[in-house]
Amino acid sequence: MTEIRLFPNDDDEVVRGLRSLYAAPAGDAYWNELEARIMARVADVELGWWTELDRWVRPAVVAAATLLLAAGIAMFRAREAESDLAVETMLASPSVPVSTAIRPALDNDRDTRIRYLFGCSDQEPTCSGQNNRR
Amino acid sequence: MTSFADGKPDERALVVAAQRGDSEAFAQLVRLHQRRAYAVCRAIVLTHEDAEDAVQEAFLHAFKALDRFLPDQPFGAWLYRIMANASLDLVRRRKVRDADELPETIPMAFRDPGESDELRRRLNEALTKLTARQRSVIVLHDVEGFTHGEIGEMLGIPEGTARSDLHHARAALRRMLKDVRSDL
Repeated sequence: MTEIRLFPNDDDEVVRGLRSLYAAPAGDAYWNELEARIMARVADVELGWWTELDRWVRPAVVAAATLLLAAGIAMFRAREAESDLAVETMLASPSVPVSTAIRPALDNDRDTRIRYLFGCSDQEPTCSGQNNRR
Repeated sequence: MTSFADGKPDERALVVAAQRGDSEAFAQLVRLHQRRAYAVCRAIVLTHEDAEDAVQEAFLHAFKALDRFLPDQPFGAWLYRIMANASLDLVRRRKVRDADELPETIPMAFRDPGESDELRRRLNEALTKLTARQRSVIVLHDVEGFTHGEIGEMLGIPEGTARSDLHHARAALRRMLKDVRSDL
């Protein structure tokens, strides 16, 4: 892409002035020293305990995730086995007719209401449900 | 050991070696890029000393983040983005710290005695009138030769914004230095 340069000439005084103001230090000695300083700081980081920690972070995260997954699967299987056992127990128990299980309660309820309506107590034999029915 | 073709360091091989923990390979990457890296930082910060600090911080950051870098990408672009971020961070920190004592002029670290004093003085003064971003864009483009796209990527702004910043910066400098330039 062609760019329109407002300072078209490289000899432009402003560009030259800018280059002079922003000139990087000349001489290899400076750059060698800067490199040495950078590498000294890098060496400090390399020897730091946090690098070792950082190295272990990923495996630790993977291990934790694997453990969580394994625990989740184990819990799921245990729950499944529990519900299977419950179903099996229910199926294995002798069946009870529904009427046998419910009627006494209903009868009992009806007797209580009748006793209440006739103002009878349990102690009076004439007020029993059987007597009323007769 | 890192192999070299024609005596020229293979940047990708150096990056891969550095990622494996070869500190000599990282030192070679520093050697390859430190001048350009300094230029990027110097365009953003106000002083040579700050540029030095930013370069060191950024190389350190790059070293720590090296394992996340994909070697097939251009290393330079990645590194200069880190340089620009470190410089912008430094500028932000300085702005907070020196809020009450903003410098009147940009310090001149390397002075060429042959240069016109008047132009330098006026240019220095004019640069302080630009915004920090405009100043960075004009230096990165006109002095360092980065493209609008590269500058946008480095400074985290759209390419069009870099282009418009450059246009405004040049117009402002031309306006402020018009009389000086005609005197030269």
